Amino acid sequence: MSAETATPERLPASARVFARVLARDLRLELRGREALNAMLFYALLIIVIFSFAFEAQSELTIHAGGGLLWVAFLFAGLVALDRAFLREIPEACLTGLRLSPAARPAVLGGKMVSSFLLMTGIELLLLPLFAIFFNVPPGARWGAVIGVLLAGTWALASTGTFFSAMSVHTRYRALLLPLLLLPLAIPAVIAMVQSTQIFLNGGSGAGYWIELLLGFDVIFTCLGLLLADVVLEVG
Amino acid sequence: MEQKKTAENLSARAAKTGPGKVAWWIGAGMILMAWALAEAWLIAPTERTMGIYQRIFYVHVPGAFTGFLAFFINFIASVIYLFRRSPRADAWAVASAEVGLAFLSINLITGPIWAKPVWGIWWTWDARLTLTLVLWVMYASYLLLRHLTPAGELQPRLAAALAVFFFFDTPIDYMAIRWWRTQHPQPVILGGPNAGMAPAMWVAFWAGWAAFLVWMVVLMRLRYRQARQRQRLDELRRAAALRAS
Repeated sequence: MSAETATPERLPASARVFARVLARDLRLELRGREALNAMLFYALLIIVIFSFAFEAQSELTIHAGGGLLWVAFLFAGLVALDRAFLREIPEACLTGLRLSPAARPAVLGGKMVSSFLLMTGIELLLLPLFAIFFNVPPGARWGAVIGVLLAGTWALASTGTFFSAMSVHTRYRALLLPLLLLPLAIPAVIAMVQSTQIFLNGGSGAGYWIELLLGFDVIFTCLGLLLADVVLEVG
Repeated sequence: MEQKKTAENLSARAAKTGPGKVAWWIGAGMILMAWALAEAWLIAPTERTMGIYQRIFYVHVPGAFTGFLAFFINFIASVIYLFRRSPRADAWAVASAEVGLAFLSINLITGPIWAKPVWGIWWTWDARLTLTLVLWVMYASYLLLRHLTPAGELQPRLAAALAVFFFFDTPIDYMAIRWWRTQHPQPVILGGPNAGMAPAMWVAFWAGWAAFLVWMVVLMRLRYRQARQRQRLDELRRAAALRAS
């Protein structure tokens, strides 16, 4: 957590900016803990509501487990993504960030990683609860599920952080973020739901879904960093 | 003083583009539309298995093609905006997105009307239908972002970035959805040796598309002009506010 003091000075400036933004965001979240607790509770509620909305039996998990899991993660993740730039509003931090000479892709990259770590943390805590509440079949390949979870969460965190920087300037900020993110994330959502479904049932052969998901990750991480100047510019 | 100059400039530009040119385009559009409708309803032969329902094809497919073309114009205009920050490019971007969404809506509305008698269902999550719906949702989201962002320099900048994101998302969507589902009739255009239409059907199709393209030009020109006037009005307001302070 002490990246600020431990970062060697010989690292390039952008790497230092990246590390500091990441460390600062994580420290803020871990100290404040409001969002973390709220997100965890929110995702838990979604899972509980699901079990009332649909009969939570093994057959449901076999047919739609991947979908249920990702809808809960997606909505909980939106809370974290909304906060990624909302955090910068008090004390005019956002203006400070945009005026600073720091490389903007490094700032955005740091925020992408901090959102990713927060979301992943929440998801790993929820995964066992999901397994219990929805009676996931014993043959599930949890290692592979966690692999999909990492790639899928990165897809949501990278694009969502970019859109968070966008929507922070707009009216109805909290509503606009999902309205921007969900249409874009459709292919990633299809891929993560399908592959999670396959792995929860202990199957294999989800290779092409994983490839698609990784392709989405690479393309939109690059595009987001390339366009970081556009969303973080002063103006 | 400056304000007066801008106001004169505004009316001079309005006179230059005038209603004259657009009126010609509208006239051409009406004639083409009348011809296209005659071709589609009276001249083109009735399809053997689908019967009369197939005639909606002459509206359905041109609607989609015109919409896709408008979205492509939106992408080009957005990229130009990102490089040059030209207000004209932004005016083209908003005009093409709105007009594209209108034409794609024609496609999405006529599709189920055709599908109900032919397939027996209104909608199916088939690859092509889903992709079209996703595109529609994307550009609706694009227009919503424009609508909810305060006017000024920020709005075109964010909109252009979003347009680039959506453009690169489309091929990934295409692959994901194709792997996920596929019931739409195989393409009759460039669709292999057995696909194809009678020559009179082709005429009706081309006439329909030509009419739609002319309407696209008319609507985009009008919307472009309106967007430009909006930009000048915002400029005037800013200048006035600056003088007042």
